[in-house]
Amino acid sequence: MSLRQSMAGLHTWGGLLPSWLLYVIIFAGSLACFDKELERWMRPALHVPVASSMTADEVRDWLRRNVSDELHAFWTHAPTEREPYWRLGWEVDGSMEIHDVAFDPAGREPMPGSVGGRFFFDLHYNLHAGMPGVYIVGLAGMFMLVALVSGVIIHRRIFKDFFTLRPQTNGQRAWLDAHNLFGVLGLPFHLVLAYTGVAIFVATYMPAGIQVAYGSDIEKFFGEVMGAYIREGIHQPSSQQVSLDGLIERSRQRWDGAEVGWVSVHHPGDVAAVVDVRQRDESRIAPPQATLSYDEASGELLGEQQVSAGYQTYSWLTGLHMAQFGGTLVRVLYFLLGLAGCAMLVGGLKVWLAKREERSGRALALVRALNGAVLGGLPLASLALLWGNRLLPASLPERAEAEGWVFVASWLVLAIWAVLRRHQPRALYREQLALGALLALGLPLLNWLTTRDGHLLASLARGDWALAGIDLTLLLAGLLCALFAWRTAQPMTQAARQPRGRRQLVEEGV
Amino acid sequence: MGWLSFAFAYLAMLTFCLAMARHHKALFGRAPTAGHSRWLRVTGAAALAVALVLGIATPGIEIGVVVWLCQLMIAGLLLVLLLAWRQRWALPLALLLPVGALLQLLV
Repeated sequence: MSLRQSMAGLHTWGGLLPSWLLYVIIFAGSLACFDKELERWMRPALHVPVASSMTADEVRDWLRRNVSDELHAFWTHAPTEREPYWRLGWEVDGSMEIHDVAFDPAGREPMPGSVGGRFFFDLHYNLHAGMPGVYIVGLAGMFMLVALVSGVIIHRRIFKDFFTLRPQTNGQRAWLDAHNLFGVLGLPFHLVLAYTGVAIFVATYMPAGIQVAYGSDIEKFFGEVMGAYIREGIHQPSSQQVSLDGLIERSRQRWDGAEVGWVSVHHPGDVAAVVDVRQRDESRIAPPQATLSYDEASGELLGEQQVSAGYQTYSWLTGLHMAQFGGTLVRVLYFLLGLAGCAMLVGGLKVWLAKREERSGRALALVRALNGAVLGGLPLASLALLWGNRLLPASLPERAEAEGWVFVASWLVLAIWAVLRRHQPRALYREQLALGALLALGLPLLNWLTTRDGHLLASLARGDWALAGIDLTLLLAGLLCALFAWRTAQPMTQAARQPRGRRQLVEEGV
Repeated sequence: MGWLSFAFAYLAMLTFCLAMARHHKALFGRAPTAGHSRWLRVTGAAALAVALVLGIATPGIEIGVVVWLCQLMIAGLLLVLLLAWRQRWALPLALLLPVGALLQLLV
């Protein structure tokens, strides 16, 4: 068996098995490029940009009034242009539970719950399954790297067919062209994103070295490589705390006016409490690591973070993946290339199916059912989530969870539908497109009916492109779905109905 | 600068594509001569360089290179999709993009 043949087998099966999982990861990741814009869309209180009058001290006061548990840490972020509201998160001491709130910029109270744009971000990196999810995603990422490299090896005409797409040829040829096109032209992006994506959790995926050197104390490892100042709490309440806003101002002066990002307090209220003030800068790929640590009780400067070169490299790699640099332009490019990655996966699955069209069997039906359930189901369930976001009453307790259930339940229904319809893939495809058109075109309308300042007329009138962009994208997606649904519903032409000629191509291999 | 560097990225992809006999035939009905083909490749390389220079002009070299690479990939995908379904638009777009970019600069 030649290298190319063995790689072809690896590519076919190593690519097929994780492809639905990768589709979920890549699709959610593409949407997560605009997580903050989606967050604004999903929270009506943020539709009109209002400057929040809250201060960091008021955020800390709110936390003291409303949370009585002893905290391991809390962290807060001031409003920014993309996220115009105070964010607060905390971890109760001794538990691993993390809580989040977002404050209404017009008042001083948390906004009604919503999963927000973060939903897609979490789906992207842990499938909402915590640590096991991180491992599953990492495994899928490794498979993607393997599939990309083996794909390059088995592709004989990588430069000759660089610009080739022949939709009018038989199904398998056309889909192979599409698979190659999106894979080869997007290769730098797919490779870099798969690699950096896996690299983000390198300490989790390859923990042996850290466990030998640090035992189970992974926090100590990170503290050392990041050069962070760490001081354990001693469970003695302190009678006084300095102003957080004062510390933020002092930090800015020290940094010649640079922006401040996350402010976190470890063991708040304790005599040994430490405040970390972190710099924010989106003009570089790597987020800045400059952090100043202060004593919460006295305000004394305890340390200035000295990041190791290794960690600097690591944060450059994670920064390259997370696309928080370069503004909207970079996010649009990442979004489009992410969708190209989805198209590559769809193309690959279609090649696998087309090659086995004449045979029938359980495997074929299974792949068809999974295609319908995931490739069609996920985007439709994402639209359903946005519908749920607008239709669930604001006063509903546990509203964010309810939104999550809307997503899960609708995806489950869509999956069952796809399984039942697995023997009529074309009809399923048409119906899913029609539903997609209905859901996507309905959302801007629903937005117009249910919000005062968030709909297209209002957002366009005030030049709020971040918000209008979401409605416009939904309109475009809806129109495309409608167009394709209409074209799929047309009776097939004579040429298309004829049995497709089969011709073994060199690069088809297996 | 985003549009203008994208315009040059598209031009680069288009000229590289036209330097290949199959695509030249599809658009002009005949294969390019060896000299013509070489000339197209050189133009493409020059357009690549211009796109890079324009790409790194505003955001700096670190982010500019990332933007440049992403724009090249998108431009290539756009070109191939046009060649497959709207072949007649492929050439005029190479002119329209810089005109649009210049208009954007003026406004």
